[in-house]
Amino acid sequence: MRVVIAEDAAVLRELLALMLTDRGHEVCAAVGDADALRAAVTEHRPDVAVVDIRMPPTHTDEGLRAAIDIRQDCPGTGVLLFSQYIETKYARRLLAAGSAGVGYLLKDRVANVAEFTEALNRVADGGTALDPEVVTQLAGAARRTEDLESLTARERQVLALMAEGRSNAAIAQALVVSAGTVEKHVAAVFGKLNLPASEDANRRVLAVLRYLGA
Amino acid sequence: MRDTHTGAARLPGVLRAPLTRRAWWEAAYCLAGFPLALVGFVLVVVLLALGAGLTVSLVGAVLGLLFVVVSTGLARALAAAHRGLAANLLGERVAPPPQLRPTGRVFARLDARLRDAAGWRSVAYVLAKLPVAAVQWYALTWWVTGLLNLSAPLRWAVFAQRPHPGQEGMPTITPIPAGGGAPHSTSFAGTFVAAAIGAATLLAAPWVTRGIVAVDRWLVRALLGPGELAQRVRNLEETRALAVDDSAALLRRLERDLHDGAQVRLVALAMSLDMARERLGADGEPVADPDRLRRLIETAHTNATEALTELRDLSRGIHPPVLDDGLPDALATLAARSTVPVELAVDIPERPTPAIETIAYFCAAELLTNVIKHSGARRVVLRASLEEGLLRLRVTDDGRGGATVGAGSGLTGLVQRVRTVDGTLDITSPQGGPTSVTVSLPPHA
Repeated sequence: MRVVIAEDAAVLRELLALMLTDRGHEVCAAVGDADALRAAVTEHRPDVAVVDIRMPPTHTDEGLRAAIDIRQDCPGTGVLLFSQYIETKYARRLLAAGSAGVGYLLKDRVANVAEFTEALNRVADGGTALDPEVVTQLAGAARRTEDLESLTARERQVLALMAEGRSNAAIAQALVVSAGTVEKHVAAVFGKLNLPASEDANRRVLAVLRYLGA
Repeated sequence: MRDTHTGAARLPGVLRAPLTRRAWWEAAYCLAGFPLALVGFVLVVVLLALGAGLTVSLVGAVLGLLFVVVSTGLARALAAAHRGLAANLLGERVAPPPQLRPTGRVFARLDARLRDAAGWRSVAYVLAKLPVAAVQWYALTWWVTGLLNLSAPLRWAVFAQRPHPGQEGMPTITPIPAGGGAPHSTSFAGTFVAAAIGAATLLAAPWVTRGIVAVDRWLVRALLGPGELAQRVRNLEETRALAVDDSAALLRRLERDLHDGAQVRLVALAMSLDMARERLGADGEPVADPDRLRRLIETAHTNATEALTELRDLSRGIHPPVLDDGLPDALATLAARSTVPVELAVDIPERPTPAIETIAYFCAAELLTNVIKHSGARRVVLRASLEEGLLRLRVTDDGRGGATVGAGSGLTGLVQRVRTVDGTLDITSPQGGPTSVTVSLPPHA
């Protein structure tokens, strides 16, 4: 996996590069601000970029804006945003253009190196990785519709894990149940949300969008 | 243009007066004020008279009170116009009184409007303004007649304004009635007498104008301002806003420092520990690369120590613990830590309240930092004392001077901070030094 890192704190930038190199990934560039990030992505066309949201000069959302541009200009590059706080507004802006190849994690998650690289892999492959915090906040802000209310607690838990971007196998692992049980729950979710099987639409994505109120 | 200016500059002050900008603006003020004064006076007096007249009978009372209320409201509007004139023409800037926005039931609102002190002060101004404005117009006649008389030779010679045969001669007009005493010009030479009188009148005109305008200025300040209490309220509102801004800025800075400092360190610490754990492998397995593992643990250790340092600096920035032992100890610590030698003299027999001590401490810290960063001074004197019921903090250095409030010196922030407790900050810092900054704070706030 070829990676570009954009993070203004040098300590973390170097440690991330070290960790990814350690695991056999190629770090093409490690930069400290959004302009350098755009340049590095254009030059290296990496599989994925790890981007801090708050970077100089304004320390607000330059990372997010760069991420949205990158998704538009270089669709082959996934973007994993991370920051010390989860902002619902930022999550919405990021997901507005689609959930493929994007991720948004709390910075603390890098402390679990294995999970972090797993999320990074998912984003690089065009998948999604949303922090549980993002999912909770978006779902909390969403309008609770009747069909969502009819889900059982377990079904909602499965749906939340789906929203984080996990596969059925990963959900089974997280909940310590069999893959069959997860499939049963997922089918129940589709049924209650009134999503019949069809070739035109991905029911999984539709269910998650409904859940997040997008 | 330039010639008249330099020419005017050579004249002594008294002779120059009619040529000054101030004299002309004051004359313009006199000219503009009278129509407004007259109309305002008539309207307000009529409304008040109607109101008062109707109030005599029980039936008319309500209507009468309404007239009174309208008259004070109108007076407020007129006062605003007069305030504008005074500000634009005289540079006499007076803050407007607070708007009257009574709430509640009809009678409560009516009552509030009847008791509107600022409204009644406006009424007083409108009433007093008419005689003043009349005198102001009279003052203008000094300018007009002065110019007329001064131009008498010109009128005689160029425009051929001559008395018809049998008339007494061309009259000289004076602002002060001279009865039959004013000379009449019967010849061209005679017109120069009139011109001399005109010149004298013109020289006097600015002083007459200035005198009556001074009376008006006094009235404007006394009657059109917000009143003492409202002024105090305004001041408090302003300083409260400063206090809120100050604490918001402080919180923002804290968040930034935490975000960029300790939080990053802790994330890095957790990350390197996790990487180290992975490297250790499962139970009993030999460690593949002990050097690498040691480096990861060293990184973790460095980050932990750095996080501790940053947190300590941060908490000292919020409240330095040494301040608990009183300002003298805190200032001594501050002086000891300074890289420029500090001569310290503290005489505070009675402890100020904690808030004041904190502000004084941070002022001293900021001022010392300024000295170290900007002044190039070799020594600093830091004095703190209780004088005339005020806590005085004075920082004097032998540096290059030229420090001003607002030049990104951090002094602006200090001024705002001390204002929040009704304190003041005075600075003398001529180019080339020395610089002396005095902070005065009420000891109990």
